[in-house]
Amino acid sequence: MNLVRLALGNLRRRPGRTVLTAAAISLGVAAVVALTSIAWGFETSWQQANDARGTDLIVTRVASENGMPSSFPASKLQGTLKAYPHVQEVVGLLSEMLSIGDSGPPVFVFGWAYDSYLWKHLRLLDGKWPDNEIEPVVMIGSLAAEVLKSRTGDALEIEGRKFRVAGIFESAAVVESGALLMTLAQAQQISDKPGKVNVLNIRLDAHASDADIADFKARVRQAAPGFVAVTSGELVQKNAVVRISKAMSSATILIASLVAALVVFNTMLMSVTERTREIGLLLALGWQRRTVMSLIFGESMMLALLGGLLGILLGIAMAWGLERLDLMHGKIAPVFSASFFASVVGLSVLIGACGGLLPALKAARMLPAHALRQE
Amino acid sequence: MRDLEKRDGIAREFCQFADVLVRLDRIALHFDNGKTRALEEIDINVLEGEFVAVVGPSGCGKSSLLHLIGMLEAPTSGEIYFRSESYSLVRGRALFRRRHFGFVFQSFHVLPALSALENVLIPTVGCAGSARAHRERARHLLARLGLGDMLDRLPATMSGGERQRIAIARALINKPGLLLADEPTGSLDSRNAAEVLALISELRSEESLTVIMVTHDPDVSWHADRIIPLRDGMLVTRGPSSK
Repeated sequence: MNLVRLALGNLRRRPGRTVLTAAAISLGVAAVVALTSIAWGFETSWQQANDARGTDLIVTRVASENGMPSSFPASKLQGTLKAYPHVQEVVGLLSEMLSIGDSGPPVFVFGWAYDSYLWKHLRLLDGKWPDNEIEPVVMIGSLAAEVLKSRTGDALEIEGRKFRVAGIFESAAVVESGALLMTLAQAQQISDKPGKVNVLNIRLDAHASDADIADFKARVRQAAPGFVAVTSGELVQKNAVVRISKAMSSATILIASLVAALVVFNTMLMSVTERTREIGLLLALGWQRRTVMSLIFGESMMLALLGGLLGILLGIAMAWGLERLDLMHGKIAPVFSASFFASVVGLSVLIGACGGLLPALKAARMLPAHALRQE
Repeated sequence: MRDLEKRDGIAREFCQFADVLVRLDRIALHFDNGKTRALEEIDINVLEGEFVAVVGPSGCGKSSLLHLIGMLEAPTSGEIYFRSESYSLVRGRALFRRRHFGFVFQSFHVLPALSALENVLIPTVGCAGSARAHRERARHLLARLGLGDMLDRLPATMSGGERQRIAIARALINKPGLLLADEPTGSLDSRNAAEVLALISELRSEESLTVIMVTHDPDVSWHADRIIPLRDGMLVTRGPSSK
């Protein structure tokens, strides 16, 4: 006979209430799991894309840190950057979110300088790469091929222009596997941005040190006012969309936790009120007040943990379902990790502790004689 | 009549030589800032090994008196002693209660989610000592009370008499010196009531218990060595023994 057994028995005594409370907690926790994993996935997907390309630094407009990168003329700045120490390649990139055909979901379309290092990390699954910079073909990522239901040789209409699918590729980065890829010249043409890029990808040689990177950043600030050189991690972290999605995730955690703690509080308070005579009996039988408190606290913890574990499973299912939507598929992969799940379990414990504290104190402070007199 | 006189004589003799286990000295219990006077001017000595019945109509303060003796609440004035130890000086009342008192209530108060054996073990939760020894003691008590084959039964599947026997076993699990029974037969039919009273009497000698029982039923009080009549919160004084 121990407290755990007794607490479990008490929860089983009112199965309907226990299940409903756990379900309410699990919904809150599921929202936290789904939204947080997607917010992290958003950040990770872009980080992966930049890392997979082997880019050391990205030069973009200062304003681009706070929003989607805006385009700028590449040639002059490109020439300046190429002359800096340790720079191997400076490659322009233009990206747009475009709808395919009349009713297709929007997908990322990347334009990369033909024959640059950016292409090298991709794996060709089918077809062939573009033969030259002006060939009107498009490469399609494996996830985008699923969403658009396209194969090699199919025709795709992008911004009113027809492109033939030259091949299907796969990337380590979800964002790339879910995108269309064409040469920079083609991308500039369909978006009416001749000679413009969103970012310049810088590849340094193997001898470049942290000091060299810092020196490069300082040179860009000095030589190109309005531009900034950042690592891919810095760019993603400062990105407004990433920051907004993280803020929304934090707000969800806060609101869901408060609601869940209130649900636990309400359930445990009701339970303690209903069991006044029983608690009076335990005190009369010689239970110490801290033992009574531990019992009620334990029940609220178990309730919150049950809700938390169900919420993790429900949240994974929700994130998986959201990721399968055409709008999301190939753009964001939810990120889960053991430490994330441990944090969610910790959050559930906190919810149980916050929701159970006052009812446990109320139970522990009961006067046994008064409690036994209650009808 | 001759029997009664004999019993009175034994009780008086017993009082003369036995030790006082519980002493209530000018006890008063008031509620609502003195507007409700539950008990007034109570002086009682209960001797070691005695079986005392506190008798009176509903609302006369019997249960309040039992709560005071059981340290479930504190008197407004006066002092209570257990083996000469003043209640007001006791530190760790829960522990003191667990060590010295066993409670039996009219409505059994068994927990429905727990088996008979687990109900008996409730007072041992958080208690020092071997869990195995507690289980053995619980099994022994339940067997002694005729529930040896119902250890794993839930209270909902048992009769009122059986549930009250669980409550008696629970009261005795920590080997208390004093059993406090609040209308223990109040919810039982006459046959079960007689069985429960007989068991309490038997266990009193087996476990070296002192028993204080409150009841409104004069027939039930005949099982006691001594009757203490109570009316309107005050003792009804009719000589050294009221029986």
